[in-house]
Amino acid sequence: MRINRFLFVTMVASSVFSPFARSTDVEPVDHIVSSNVVSDVIVSGDSYSGDMGSSDGGSCPAGSACAAGSACANGMCSNGMCSNGMCSNGLGQNGLGQNGLGQNGLGQNGIGGLRGTLGSYIGDLARCGHAGDMASCQPRTYGYPDLFYNYYTQGNCNSTNAQMYISPIPVPPNVGHTYITYQPFMAHEMLYQHKDRFHNYYDGGRGMNHTKVHYFAPPVRTAASNVYWNYLRLPR
Amino acid sequence: MKRYILSILAVVAMAMTVSTPSAQGADPYARTQLWSNQVAAQRPWHGNYYYLPYGQPTALIVPPTAHMRQTLSWGVSQNLMYPLNHQFGRNASSPGALAPGSFQATPHWPSHTDQFGVYYVRGPW
Repeated sequence: MRINRFLFVTMVASSVFSPFARSTDVEPVDHIVSSNVVSDVIVSGDSYSGDMGSSDGGSCPAGSACAAGSACANGMCSNGMCSNGMCSNGLGQNGLGQNGLGQNGLGQNGIGGLRGTLGSYIGDLARCGHAGDMASCQPRTYGYPDLFYNYYTQGNCNSTNAQMYISPIPVPPNVGHTYITYQPFMAHEMLYQHKDRFHNYYDGGRGMNHTKVHYFAPPVRTAASNVYWNYLRLPR
Repeated sequence: MKRYILSILAVVAMAMTVSTPSAQGADPYARTQLWSNQVAAQRPWHGNYYYLPYGQPTALIVPPTAHMRQTLSWGVSQNLMYPLNHQFGRNASSPGALAPGSFQATPHWPSHTDQFGVYYVRGPW
């Protein structure tokens, strides 16, 4: 994938890849992460959209011991304490005659149950929520990627901080915001010639999507442009 | 003849290895990057002057491969160069923007290029 820098500037100028949204007209969409939020750190509440591990209920409150075999074997108690120690660890599953090794030792309690208990990582999809499934079944999952992701000035001594998009300063909220939803097309990648790789792991690490981008400026046209802009053009 | 062919092969192999385009900076172990991060953590990215059209210090994004900035001021030997330490990153650090009026205005007679309120910040890698 070879991208011409000048072509990209033209594309950005025409804002083909930058849908505008007027915040006065549009209700907040769940998938848009607020621009002052860093989503690859541990978050506490359910303030993030895309936090799949937080609350998918079940028929029992978290921490309580639910009836052995009745609800837990159906996967209803996969949230909180129920799947972690009470239900599928010997009471529900073994009582109903499910196999002991796969359910209790490895599948549910060792990995899935603990992650379901924490339940606060973005993209944490370990749960077993559908009625009718057994407790060790993994549902079909899909990610909720960020629509847009901003950059900020760093350091401990700043009395104010700047965000990088939109440059030079952000616009008022009633004007709207520009989201660049495809990371290889973000404008700061066009600042210098380089190669970059964008990775996306999915399916628990079993799959990886890989995009390699060459950011390239044609030397002859770049030289001609430099001659024009630095020597021939009248300064005004 | 064999020596001739071998020499041609050697030249071709050398050309293939030399002409490989590389945009990697001359910082193989990222030591300069580490120094920049350490220095930037202890210094503000701006100089307490606001940029007149926007009322706040304004970051001017430069490529992450840029190294140095130059400041000009009155007097002899006031033509100074500093490394460009600050770089945009992923952490949403606090505080955010301050209210207008929190920074100094450009003097009527500016004596330094920092007083115009535009400051370089390198873009992320």
